[in-house]
Amino acid sequence: MKEKKKSKSQILRLTLILFLVSALTSGVLGYTNSLTADRIKEQKQQATAKAYNEVLPFEGDYVEVTEFDKASFPTVDTISKAGEEGYVVEMTFSGAQGNITAVVGVDSSHKATGVSVISHSETPSLGARITEEGFRAKFVGAEEGTALKNAGGTIEAITSATISSQAIVDSVNTAIAAVVALG
Amino acid sequence: MSIKKQFRDGLIDNNPVLVQRLGLCSTMAITTTLFNGIGMGISVLIILTCCNVVISAMRKIIPNDIRIAIFVVVIAGFVTIVDLLLQAFVPALSASLGVFIPLIVVNCIIIGRAEAFCQNEPVIPSFFDGIFQGIGYTVTLVLMCIVRELLGNGSFGGGLLDVSQGALRLTLDGSGSGIQVFSSEYAATILIMPFGGFLTLAVLLAAMQFALRKADEKKEKALRAAKVLVDEEVAA
Repeated sequence: MKEKKKSKSQILRLTLILFLVSALTSGVLGYTNSLTADRIKEQKQQATAKAYNEVLPFEGDYVEVTEFDKASFPTVDTISKAGEEGYVVEMTFSGAQGNITAVVGVDSSHKATGVSVISHSETPSLGARITEEGFRAKFVGAEEGTALKNAGGTIEAITSATISSQAIVDSVNTAIAAVVALG
Repeated sequence: MSIKKQFRDGLIDNNPVLVQRLGLCSTMAITTTLFNGIGMGISVLIILTCCNVVISAMRKIIPNDIRIAIFVVVIAGFVTIVDLLLQAFVPALSASLGVFIPLIVVNCIIIGRAEAFCQNEPVIPSFFDGIFQGIGYTVTLVLMCIVRELLGNGSFGGGLLDVSQGALRLTLDGSGSGIQVFSSEYAATILIMPFGGFLTLAVLLAAMQFALRKADEKKEKALRAAKVLVDEEVAA
């Protein structure tokens, strides 16, 4: 390219072209977003609904409990009442790699009825195995004070994924404690 | 440039990962299960092809001074579209690839091809360049996934295949746990971790260099042999 001082009109031209390209791209993005937004929302709701039903099967509606002690249980997002069956607690807490969002079902006698992970970013084949049925099944019937085997408890941790396993153990304990605190 | 030559370039002679060494970050980060590898490979292939076509079509009106800025805007646009579509239609893939889909914006394969190829070439060769380079990337990812998953976890086809009640099933939602070739207790777990990514990639790069050199030597030998033959004929 020739070495030449850029004139005002040339700068204006470059700005205009970049502006037009950006504007066009934004338009296309806006259109895609309007097409997919509903579906993405639906997918997320479906995933959550499925998780709720998995941890505490209930025919009716899960009614969100608005009054709980958020200050004592900072990781708890929502607590929903499943009629007389018990409660489903939705939580976001940190795992080994990033945030984990999970739901824990707690029955009326304050025992865990199941755990389901909605989203996580743990290492595949290691921490990501917290989503496997075999690991989650160990928490069915767990009471407050559940611990991993190396801490004197009964839950066997996933090999090479103690932090992720511990995060789930903690979340179950928190869920039970939060429900007990409801009275 | 013929399509056949472009195909060979993308897959072997000028493979984006193993020869040009572009996009190494995602290559090491996501190749832990076959499902992730294929998903990421196809996402990049689609984005790369779209970007190549659009950039090549606009190559006459993109001023040289701001070409990089325009490339980035176009690439970011397509990446976001694919990200939204994945979230809407393949949520499992979107969940397991996580941040690596938005990060395709800064994947140097795409901007690299825009710089090196599309800004000087017509639309049709650019289209094929996108597809073949994308296939080259996908094949490399798949190779790494197979090695790392097998040695690191003792399984094959994680997320994509599922064996239940003795029947092999294709799971497109990433729920399958793969075929367990041997118990994961005996696997070298370190290969699944980021370190294993470096190790596997290094071995693949070395193997590729070896193969390319061997091919070069063979070609040279053949050339020399032909020359000797000609010389002899001349002498006779």
